[in-house]
Amino acid sequence: MPDLTAAAGAVFAGAGALDAFLQGFADMKLPGLGEDIMAYLAYILYLAMMAGGGLAAVLAGNLVRALLGLAAAFMGAAGMYLLMASPFMAFMQLLIYIGAICVLIFFAIMLVQNASGGEETRRPGLGQLFYGLAAAGAAVLLFGPVIVRHAGRLARAARPSETPTADLGQGLLSYYVVPFELISMILLAAMAGGVFLIWEKRRKR
Amino acid sequence: MTVAPLTLFMLAALVLMAIGLLGLITRRTLVGMLISVELLLNGAGLSVVAAAKLTPVSDVAGNHLAAIGQLAAIFIMGLAAAEATLVLAIMTVVHRRFGAVTVAELTTLRSVK
Repeated sequence: MPDLTAAAGAVFAGAGALDAFLQGFADMKLPGLGEDIMAYLAYILYLAMMAGGGLAAVLAGNLVRALLGLAAAFMGAAGMYLLMASPFMAFMQLLIYIGAICVLIFFAIMLVQNASGGEETRRPGLGQLFYGLAAAGAAVLLFGPVIVRHAGRLARAARPSETPTADLGQGLLSYYVVPFELISMILLAAMAGGVFLIWEKRRKR
Repeated sequence: MTVAPLTLFMLAALVLMAIGLLGLITRRTLVGMLISVELLLNGAGLSVVAAAKLTPVSDVAGNHLAAIGQLAAIFIMGLAAAEATLVLAIMTVVHRRFGAVTVAELTTLRSVK
């Protein structure tokens, strides 16, 4: 993987290449070289939050700690959306993922088992760990070279500009009207199905 | 060598995907697997928004569609919410029936040992 390692080396090499590959980052309203350094530092911070939180979510023996790691990873992703000049997405990320899904998973943990004990405190077996690392490595080996080789060629040189929220609303009511209606049907069906699944069992008792 | 921002964001999404896959296989309970699936879905949304924000996007008529990637990621978020709701209900039912949400315990369909 010479390409990947070379690119990774360039990413983390430091000051020399730094200015060049931060051209497209979001406008952070700081003059000159300063804004690029800020964007670079913010990217590193958010990436560390995502990777560290994700690893905690996956490897923590206590499920509540895993959930906290998941929330940290979501916050890192929200920061990535901010860097891409889409603040609306960052707010939706905080609202839906951290506000709704994390709380839902917390309910799942509470309903289903005692968080600190249980099966998850056991370390994964060697075979499990091997297969997991193989799956993760396969994803990296499949997509990493493609990303490193082709993403740079496709990308626009200019900085990403913020899309007005009004455009998002118009998009939902014009070219995305069918998916918009479908997803409300799906949400309704999921909620009704969830209520039905739990209701049925309780009536029999 | 210059690295485009799109590459950086795609690599970040790839990190989320790899961690999610690792967790999906190493976790033993349905709750842990649900957490991993959420990581995978989040990575997918991140990559969709990055691809749409940092490359020129237009429809067949040539109109510039700036919002299309962000809307797709919002649909992904909606689907993730629906999926988490259903999985919570399914986990509750499984817990009542089997007394556990450990994957190794859910072996009704396995043939006689």
